[in-house]
Amino acid sequence: MKRYVLGRLAQIFVILFVILTVLFVLFRLAPGDPVERMIDPSMTPEDAQILKVELGLDQPLWVQYIYYLKNFFTGNFGHSFHYGEPVVEIIAERLPNTILLFTTAVLLSALVGISWGKIASWHKGKKVDILLTIASLVTHTMFLPWLALLFVWIFGYKLDLFPITGLIYPEVWLDPQAGFFRKGLDVLYHMVLPLFTLFIIYFGTYLLVMRSSMLDTLREDYIVTARAKGLTEKDIRNRHAAPNAYLPVVTSVGLSLAFSINGGALTETVFSWPGIGRELVFAVSQNDYPLAQASFLLIATVVLFANLLVDVLYAYLDPRIRY
Amino acid sequence: MHCFPVKISTASARRAPSAIERIIRLWAIVTILGAGFSFIFQPGPLAAQDAWDDKVLKVGVLEEPRTLNLWLASDSWSSKVLELIYDRLYEREPQGLKLIPWLAKTMPVCDKTQCVYTLTLREAQWSDGTPFTAHDVVFTGNFIKKFKVPRYYSRWNFVKSIKAVDDHTVKFVLSRPKATFLTRTLTTPIAQKKQWEPIMAEAQKTKKPLQSLLRYKMENPVGTGPFALKTWHRGTFVYMTRNEHFFGRGVEIAGRKLGPYIHGIIFKTYGTSDAAILALRKGTIDFFWYGIQPGYLDSVKRDKGIKLFYNQKSALYFMGFNLRRTPFNDLNFRRAVATLIDDNFIIRRILQDSGSRMKSVVPPGNTIYHCADVTQYGEGLSRNNRIKAAYRILKDAGYNWAVPPVNAQGEVVPGKGMILPNGKPLKPFTILTPPADYDPHRAMSGMMIQEWLRIVGIPAVSRPMSFGAMIQKIKARHDFDCFVLGYARLSLDPGWLRSFFHSSQDRPRGWNMTGYKNPAYDALADTAENTLDQGKRQAVVFELQRIIARDLPFIPLYNPLLVEGARIDRFKDWVPMLEGVGNVWSFCEIKPATPAD
Repeated sequence: MKRYVLGRLAQIFVILFVILTVLFVLFRLAPGDPVERMIDPSMTPEDAQILKVELGLDQPLWVQYIYYLKNFFTGNFGHSFHYGEPVVEIIAERLPNTILLFTTAVLLSALVGISWGKIASWHKGKKVDILLTIASLVTHTMFLPWLALLFVWIFGYKLDLFPITGLIYPEVWLDPQAGFFRKGLDVLYHMVLPLFTLFIIYFGTYLLVMRSSMLDTLREDYIVTARAKGLTEKDIRNRHAAPNAYLPVVTSVGLSLAFSINGGALTETVFSWPGIGRELVFAVSQNDYPLAQASFLLIATVVLFANLLVDVLYAYLDPRIRY
Repeated sequence: MHCFPVKISTASARRAPSAIERIIRLWAIVTILGAGFSFIFQPGPLAAQDAWDDKVLKVGVLEEPRTLNLWLASDSWSSKVLELIYDRLYEREPQGLKLIPWLAKTMPVCDKTQCVYTLTLREAQWSDGTPFTAHDVVFTGNFIKKFKVPRYYSRWNFVKSIKAVDDHTVKFVLSRPKATFLTRTLTTPIAQKKQWEPIMAEAQKTKKPLQSLLRYKMENPVGTGPFALKTWHRGTFVYMTRNEHFFGRGVEIAGRKLGPYIHGIIFKTYGTSDAAILALRKGTIDFFWYGIQPGYLDSVKRDKGIKLFYNQKSALYFMGFNLRRTPFNDLNFRRAVATLIDDNFIIRRILQDSGSRMKSVVPPGNTIYHCADVTQYGEGLSRNNRIKAAYRILKDAGYNWAVPPVNAQGEVVPGKGMILPNGKPLKPFTILTPPADYDPHRAMSGMMIQEWLRIVGIPAVSRPMSFGAMIQKIKARHDFDCFVLGYARLSLDPGWLRSFFHSSQDRPRGWNMTGYKNPAYDALADTAENTLDQGKRQAVVFELQRIIARDLPFIPLYNPLLVEGARIDRFKDWVPMLEGVGNVWSFCEIKPATPAD
């Protein structure tokens, strides 16, 4: 196992280097000029040139690439063109918000989706199965911004049950008497609608994966054996079938968790959630190379390590698998 | 071995949940309970009523400021905040848009023979309580010149020297007469010497001082403006309080007694117009500082507490030609295109009446420099008559068709196979537009123009393209045929007329994107730049507009109307002006509404 992990780590390092290079090339090939995004007709081409020099874009591409690599290996991801701040600080500010919402949404959806998937497969062809399967297909294929706006309109505006988007109420956070508990509740209160929306969209995936995996498992001989032994249906489902059906679901949840750090630009935009997804879109659309590169690199790193973790977890979940 | 291993195997299968499973379950339970708990206790604004101040204006914006570093900020969202923190020496008054003294006490005294301007300053204070002096003005000017701060350098590079005669008098010596000195140079925001001097000293120790200055993270900007930054909670809100040292409090300027009468402003970020408009209707915000799209207007109008303000924008939306290519270098071709374009239709159908006509390239809201007396094309003509007029222009210029758009009986028919005066067929060409998700109006206008041109046999193809790619093609590579573009928030000083059409600006990344070259225009544009007398300059600028309307490197299409919504049941006395009610005058004048209002 140790050898396998070390091998994979070396692989990850090589892949990261390739990604690093691809990101650099891709953003430079992408249409648009960062300087053009920052100037107006009152500025002369000479002013634009000064700006270009200050952003380090006047150097030949290969020189820029060398600096980029050097900075990366010294832990310097550069400064955002528009914020003027180190991109690491910008990402560090936004990332916790994204993790809070999306990771929670993935975990919640996975928990519910997996247990409902078990139920659906166990009652294959019956009403409960049909109902759950149709519900998952419908919610999974819903257009997220539309659903999000609908919820904001119904629950935020019409019924006035929840805030109309955002992460916090300034009124609460500016109140000197508001303590940690009240501020925490404020965040949770704002989180309800986006979390509910993401749950509606996500849970179907896990339900369907679990259902299909369980159906395969239920055909196995050891399930027949378990029945022959006189085990209760609940025990057969939860103790014999489900653990073996978890494998593909673990992959799905693991990768979803990894990808959850890039947030969702649409969700974050509709719910005015200040996460990394919105920043990513901004960085790409405004040709803010350092911010875009660092954000994508972070996602790539997390996904690569999540893959490794999932592989290791496989061995833990299925004793037949050995590396 | 057991004969009946049922109980044993059940027990062995009843595996305890792993640590990971426990954490996940705990997380989910805590979240669900927390969300439910938070709902029950609703820690909303009402809960904080005791600590809340109803004299604080809540403004909805679509983005938070990118930076509060005055020298770096290039986006409109940063400007909205910075404009309330930093003052200028002169400001535009809201009705006639004339420049009036703001931080300056009087208009500058000018010795035209030697290009020397002297101005006196008001008694004012910075938000930290220290006095504002001439040394701050000198520092700001020298700072920009020394570091060639890109955003402001072109406004100051002709200023030879700046001196503080005393604490309240500044003397500027210019290298040459420059009309934009008053309108652009003296409207630069003034930075505090006390705050920026140590930052500058630190920056000078680095290899790239300007880069260090642009990257400086300004967390407590000190200004002389009506508001001062209190808190910036990244990603969610900016809270500004009234600057108790603001010079304008209780002072009458341009016939208006200034406040601010409110205690502060909160800028709340909403990701979409939909959310912000719902927040406005719900009363979560008092003002949405962004144009409301026509589709939302009916629902907003139903709310009696909201007033919609309709104001002109200082914007130019236009079609441009690449005059370096055939047939766009033919004036008759451009005139025929201008005749075919029905700008009234665009305003009525595409903008849903939320715009006004652009007779000239200078927007009509710019009451000082807009000239309506310029050549118009196809004015008042029906669609068929426009086609006939365009056909006549082209026919007279030597263009031919396989099937002419007007047949022998004088009826309009679909034209086909257009042939240039040199006998070659006119190849299909593209009209570049931004994509519909970036600006539906421009994308739709491009498509309409394509259809109008095709009727007379001009094989135009409207092609939406990402904004960045489009600018690169047009501005950097000059690799295009035609385009539909727009400039919002154009400066009221028409100095950009020179940038857009002067032949010296026809270079890669220059502002003369069309490649327009006219020595007479160049000479007049240079004159306009150096004419200090506003009346004479106005006449020259009018003439420049007439030349552009005659030569048509740009065909002005429309000027969108800016519709903003504010809750007048919360705050009253908004000041409308060009570019909307979100202006420094409004924020200095609005007062909390009373039930009697």
